[in-house]
Amino acid sequence: MRLFWFEIYKTFSRWRTYISFGAIALLVFLIEGVLRLKPEEVLYRATRSFQSDFLISGNILNGWFVTALIMNSLHVHIPFLITLVAGDIVSSEATSGTVRLLLIRPPSRAGIIVAKYLTALFYSAAVVLFLGLVCTLLGLSLFGGGDLMTYQQGRFGMVVIPENEIYLRMLLAFSAAVWSMTVVASLAFLFSTLAENSIGPIIGTMAVVVIFFVLGNFPFDFLQDLRPFLFTTYMNFWHGFLDDPISWQEITRSASILGLHNMGLFSIAFIVYQRKDIKS
Amino acid sequence: MKKTIFPICLAISLIWPGSIQAQEEGAPYLDAVIKRFSLLKDYTVDVKVHFDIEAFKSPDMEGRLYYKAPDKMKVDSKRIFFFPREGGYFNPAAFKPENFEVNLLERLIEEERKAVRIRLIPKKARWPGQSFILTIDTERNLIRGIDTSPSGGREIKASIEYGRFGQFDLPTRIRLQLDIPSIEMDGTRFFDPSLQKAKRIRGKIEIVYSNYKVNTGLSEEIFQEKERALKKD
Repeated sequence: MRLFWFEIYKTFSRWRTYISFGAIALLVFLIEGVLRLKPEEVLYRATRSFQSDFLISGNILNGWFVTALIMNSLHVHIPFLITLVAGDIVSSEATSGTVRLLLIRPPSRAGIIVAKYLTALFYSAAVVLFLGLVCTLLGLSLFGGGDLMTYQQGRFGMVVIPENEIYLRMLLAFSAAVWSMTVVASLAFLFSTLAENSIGPIIGTMAVVVIFFVLGNFPFDFLQDLRPFLFTTYMNFWHGFLDDPISWQEITRSASILGLHNMGLFSIAFIVYQRKDIKS
Repeated sequence: MKKTIFPICLAISLIWPGSIQAQEEGAPYLDAVIKRFSLLKDYTVDVKVHFDIEAFKSPDMEGRLYYKAPDKMKVDSKRIFFFPREGGYFNPAAFKPENFEVNLLERLIEEERKAVRIRLIPKKARWPGQSFILTIDTERNLIRGIDTSPSGGREIKASIEYGRFGQFDLPTRIRLQLDIPSIEMDGTRFFDPSLQKAKRIRGKIEIVYSNYKVNTGLSEEIFQEKERALKKD
């Protein structure tokens, strides 16, 4: 536990750690600012399917709607921000030449790698929860509250969630988003144990995420058949908490598959780190 | 030649008077309905909408509906509120006989009352082949059902139950059955590529009306906000 807090202190002492938080704050501020200035276009796009047959009233473009909208772009920018720290957390010791010093001290290699991994996970959670906090607080202050109108997951259609259910559902959705992003952190962490510098793990992780995402979304049958084997397929399972009915079976399945990825990736990283030759 | 002309003349002689008769017989029923509600100037009513549509999952929605003759309508709700444009509210002036070609289809007994089914073809149709079939309770001069023809890829069926409010029979419940085409929602495919393509919106909507206030002299201002919004569109 002491090692963990030591790693947390080290991570949050670096200025690069705060790039992510700054980027998220700026991005959310820009998106919500634009939405505030031009709400008609978003409203039109969101309700276009139903406008010809329904009269629609009420505060659709509210803080929850904006939060859900920004969350939909989670898989685009958050993985990159996570790799900035998770991809650097082990390899930076090699880059700065502190790895030998670190590993000849009393704490075991296992203790060190676990503490570093937990720190990477902690950082990932902090980034996603920060996004949720900024989106929600800024969204509610700019657009007010109300029921959430969102899209049905993987199907054509819309869902309206009453406001009294949204707090819990959003909490669960962000928790699920944190869980999704831990896989990116685990992958970056594994690459970080393999590399001697930070650029490789960061670029390598992003390359895998982007390739998997693109492969999984090409509309060809062969590539569609690959989807179940790509972890990116399961990363938006957080949206299941904003669906009606909540598909607990699908959520459990996706969460389990991502959990197995985490275990697998960390196990490999653990073995690699245990066998790491620091003499050469 | 004579052999060809004779059957044509015979067919015309059989069909032509019949269609005139249908036109003459259908319009009075519609007139009677409109006449019955000629004293209805305005009403406000609380509405509760229940959706049973696959493409639209929502809890029951509640709002207030304002109507002012001949055709002003507004819905108001603090929460998100979807209200069907067609068949969702009662407007007796919506079926003025001069705007339609009216044909009597059949006479029938519905719920132990005499009724007729008439076809209305709008003189200015919104889409090709548009027509309505009304079922009118001829004993009380009430529209009990409205079916839009399955044209333009859309079909809506409404059945209406009435209750007595002051001197008027007004809807207490309207059940709608929808089968309408839909448009894909912009942008969603980018964010959620697993989304399926737009499908038809099919299902049922039940609207319950309560707490009618009739002929209270609703001011025009209530409807102006909506008119401004429409002009903006």
